[in-house]
Amino acid sequence: MIPFELAEPASLGEAIKLLDPDDASVRPIAGGTALMLMMKAGVFRPARLVSLRAIRELSAIATQPDGSLRIGAMTPLSVLERSAAVRAHAPVITQTLRTLSNVRVRNVATVGGHLAHADPHMDLPPVLIALGAHIAAAGPAGERTIPVEALFAGYFATVLRRDELITAVMVPAQGTRRAAYLKCTTRAVHDWPALGVAVSLDRDGDSIRAAKIVISAATEKPVRLPGAEAALRGGCDDAALRRAGDAAAEEAQTISDGQGSAAYKRQLVRVYVARALAAALDRAGATH
Amino acid sequence: MATRTATSTIGSGQVGRSVRRLEGAAKVTGRAEYVHNLRLPGMLYGKIVRSTVAHGRIRAIDVGAARALPGVHRVVTIADIRAVVPEPFYGPAFHDQPILAVDKVHYVGEPVAVVLAADPHVAEAAAQLVVADYEELPAVYDEVEAMTSAAIVHDVLKPAGTFPDLKHLQGRRNTNVALDFHLRRGDVARGFAQADHVFEHTFRTQQVLHLPLEPFVTVAEAADDRLTLHTASQSPSFVRIEIARLLGWPENRVRVKVPYLGGGFGAKLYIKLEALAAALALLVRRPVKIALTMEEQFYTLTKHASTFRIKSGVKDGRITARHCEVWWNGGAYADIGPRIAQKSGFTASGPYDIENVYIDSYSLYTNLTPAGALRGFGIPQLVWAYESHTDMMARALNLDPLAFRRDNILREGRPQATGTPMQDAAIVAVLDRLATRMNWGKAFDRGTGTIRRGRGIAIGFKASISPTTSIAIVNVAADGSVTLYCSTVDMGQGSDTANAQLVAEVLDIKAESVTVVHPDTDVTPYDMATLGSRSMFHMGNAVKLAAQDARDKIAALARELGLPKGSNVPVAELFQKKYKMQAGNIIGVGSYIPAYAPPDHDTGQTPNATPFWMVGAAGAEIAVDTETGHVRVTRLVNVADVGRAVNPRIVETQLSGAAIMQLGFTLQEKIELDGGQIVNASLADYKIPSLLDIPPDMHSEVVEAEQHSGPFGAKGVGESGTFAVSPAIANAIDDAVGVRLTSLPLTAETLYRALRAAANDPLED
Amino acid sequence: MNRTIHFTLNGESVAAEIAPHQNLVEVLQQRFDLFGARESCAQGLCGCCTVLVDGSAVSGCLFLAAFADGSEVVTIEHLAANGKLDPIQQAFIECGAFQCGFCTPGFILMTGQLISQHPDPDDDEIRHYLAGNLCRCAAYPEIIEAVKLAARNMRKGV
Repeated sequence: MIPFELAEPASLGEAIKLLDPDDASVRPIAGGTALMLMMKAGVFRPARLVSLRAIRELSAIATQPDGSLRIGAMTPLSVLERSAAVRAHAPVITQTLRTLSNVRVRNVATVGGHLAHADPHMDLPPVLIALGAHIAAAGPAGERTIPVEALFAGYFATVLRRDELITAVMVPAQGTRRAAYLKCTTRAVHDWPALGVAVSLDRDGDSIRAAKIVISAATEKPVRLPGAEAALRGGCDDAALRRAGDAAAEEAQTISDGQGSAAYKRQLVRVYVARALAAALDRAGATH
Repeated sequence: MATRTATSTIGSGQVGRSVRRLEGAAKVTGRAEYVHNLRLPGMLYGKIVRSTVAHGRIRAIDVGAARALPGVHRVVTIADIRAVVPEPFYGPAFHDQPILAVDKVHYVGEPVAVVLAADPHVAEAAAQLVVADYEELPAVYDEVEAMTSAAIVHDVLKPAGTFPDLKHLQGRRNTNVALDFHLRRGDVARGFAQADHVFEHTFRTQQVLHLPLEPFVTVAEAADDRLTLHTASQSPSFVRIEIARLLGWPENRVRVKVPYLGGGFGAKLYIKLEALAAALALLVRRPVKIALTMEEQFYTLTKHASTFRIKSGVKDGRITARHCEVWWNGGAYADIGPRIAQKSGFTASGPYDIENVYIDSYSLYTNLTPAGALRGFGIPQLVWAYESHTDMMARALNLDPLAFRRDNILREGRPQATGTPMQDAAIVAVLDRLATRMNWGKAFDRGTGTIRRGRGIAIGFKASISPTTSIAIVNVAADGSVTLYCSTVDMGQGSDTANAQLVAEVLDIKAESVTVVHPDTDVTPYDMATLGSRSMFHMGNAVKLAAQDARDKIAALARELGLPKGSNVPVAELFQKKYKMQAGNIIGVGSYIPAYAPPDHDTGQTPNATPFWMVGAAGAEIAVDTETGHVRVTRLVNVADVGRAVNPRIVETQLSGAAIMQLGFTLQEKIELDGGQIVNASLADYKIPSLLDIPPDMHSEVVEAEQHSGPFGAKGVGESGTFAVSPAIANAIDDAVGVRLTSLPLTAETLYRALRAAANDPLED
Repeated sequence: MNRTIHFTLNGESVAAEIAPHQNLVEVLQQRFDLFGARESCAQGLCGCCTVLVDGSAVSGCLFLAAFADGSEVVTIEHLAANGKLDPIQQAFIECGAFQCGFCTPGFILMTGQLISQHPDPDDDEIRHYLAGNLCRCAAYPEIIEAVKLAARNMRKGV
């Protein structure tokens, strides 16, 4: 690693001023677990890092008047993992965190950094998309709200400007909706996912309402699969889940890499979408 | 000095006891000494600049920008090295590997220059500024293609003078074959002609990595015409001799010190960073440390990828003829590859009693990272093939795999393929014990729906490397306390503890009271190396002889002092009586080399191929997810013949540790290449087993079978657990879903594709 | 660009001049001669560099030393500071839960965290919690045993 300037502003406004919209070598750093990897590998050589660690206003978890849960961007993943409020609000988040990276990384990495990094192999983005979550982002022009579903522009890319910071994640009240996340690994049990599948749905007797099916890792960014969602309109028996899996495999733009070929990942999508739906429906055979 | 065959003595209960590791407290407090920790005043850090092409002639190396970076002490290329080492080529079998690339590079990652700086960050930054220009040459990566490829890795073969059986290769040109080993027994052609059935299959193994968590590291310091190397090495005596040879110095001017190793597994053998660090220290006259990163381990040494074509004739359920062709992918430098091709090659026909055997085993140069020994010295590659083959034949013949093995197994006293009669090899007992632990005769839940279960067994064996020497010194101080000096390297296998137990057994003291001095070639005597599970047997015998020598000298001292025979006077009192004060030492010395007869060059036949045999068997129960190809090993049983277990607890850990390592090589690990470029050179992309990957039910068990020539009946155990794991799992997969995989690793995608192919619905590429 | 950081190290107030790009392991080794946290994979995956910062385990190789300013840092060397091994260290020795020992300090510190959160961990909890620590010698069965023994002894107040 080469020397750089480390700025440690105490307020959000100060932090935004220290960022540079035109200079890729100036970046914010939160927990730093992902940035450090890039710096050690020499793929990112910063001129200045703007640490967000001293900004206290960014690390609260609170239920909002509209019933949504607002999670400060600087909340470490382990705090999220152990939060009773999160567990009550969306237990799928708690479950997802258990196999997300490892304890040490979860102790340091933050939810904001996790999203801003935009690595398609992160576990929370598909879950948050399935839950209908938004982020708040602050920049020189003020704050704006972006659905997590619209946050990712591509492989390691977001729609945020270089001088914008994620300040919070808002997860709406889930009501009677149920969700599940399945992580499929191919190189070892504990690994980044080769495929992540998050689903969220509302069951009404024999039918499913407003299902959201999101896949990640196997694609260049987390994506919803409207075809698969549509396939569930007929019902929620096993045949419907299989149809949703088939539709998902049909529409998923999987990519080949060290975790598997595109064709194999399509098969994983087929199988895991059906299994994730079964898990959300609390049905046996959901996991292997 | 006592040089004789070790004899059995009546023990004091130290051998066979699960003594806790002597270094336990040092390791759990983080205070254990590793070279990694060492910093010396004025020390410079060396960062290696590596080749970006697989095969090429070096046109120029531009070090200008690197040299100009503030804080850089010096940028070194081979021209500088030659000022202190004029002939900078080393290696245990061939003198083919240069300290830094000479004229040509032979693989991606080969060292071409080094930057020295007091700040390692500066050295690293400067190393990225060195620009080498190459004229690329055709390259070869596959071991079978290397046999006939027009791409020739080395212009001329340069075997080391030390091995008579390599002499015929001296000066050979236009070949990538570094060694061809041949074994001929009986008449295979007739065997095949008379057989009822002939089976032929080809199996492959992938290139994998040792990956000790302490990466390679060496510190060199030069002063007053002497050189000291602090190095994470499994072979301090070899390092001393080879560095002395490179420098043209006598051995006694080179000192090699080795503290604990953070794992070795065969990686840290012979010369790795030592020659480079030594040359740099001599060049700049300051201490130099070279500590590789995890990534750089991928550019240093791997395990051989291999291809094995095996053909067997079966008549009335008996294997009557076997033809083996093995190609070992040795990478760009021979390292110990040729020895693997020979020493393991002669067991390629497996632990079976076969009348007609024909083996060709080839060590090949390719443009990949050099390959060496990895926990098994080639044996896991061979067992993978012959035990998969065994099951495929049994399946085709509709025979029970266990019964088929029993009918063909190599029994005590019967000649192995080399003609050497089997002795103290509990092959049958190991197979029987495995069958019992696997409940082989009993019904088995085969699963339902998309989860299918199966089970498989396999058995392999290995001949210990030979002939090699070990020497040990036991020092009894005037207060009766005992210190052992030996050059066995404790890299985690527990040799300090086991050797202390041997000393304690002979001298009738507590093992915990023995101090073991770590390898320091100024202090500890010669040992060939810590490799190939040889130490317990070879060094163990030397240690036992040294302790016996000390014991005899204590008895002689008692006689000299006029004490009656068998008197029980404490040792401290003997010294007190003799010197009238607390003074003096008794030095016991033991030297051991087993008997050996080299194989005939043309036929591989010998009456004494090895000092001892190791036997390892594995059984696996697995579950396959037929929709994804995921394999879960639900139960893994390992049984081995270890002679007598000197320390049962450590032996069990050795067996299960080896089995888990091999489990990684079976299901997970593979160096992925794009051309000659490794694309997964990190733990992020090269996944070794974690706690979540180990089977929920693991059972490791020893069949105790006295090794009569071993110390207190013991023999080596470090590798036995690796032998049979891979084929046991492949056999279990076939049992579960009727699909046969012939290439490692057995990934989920590979299996899923095979399932689809078997269903005549192949998955697109 | 160098700066001085102040923190508590194994119970003592200390200061160190550091460069912004130095990680915590480097500073512990170079400034304080503490070698129990060691960099191996350099990616936070193996756990050899485990250090406790404000009571939480972190990968020292991915943790900028500057971030330790004002914090409380504990390393493996603190566990037996008074010369007596703590129950987890004792259990690792008793169960033979290591071979080469390079990963051992990390496993021991993580086990302390695990037991503080799950005083009576089952196999599944142990495997998941320690999945981010790698042991190439694969003394995994013994590690599971040692964690359980340590937890048992700590519950009994041994």
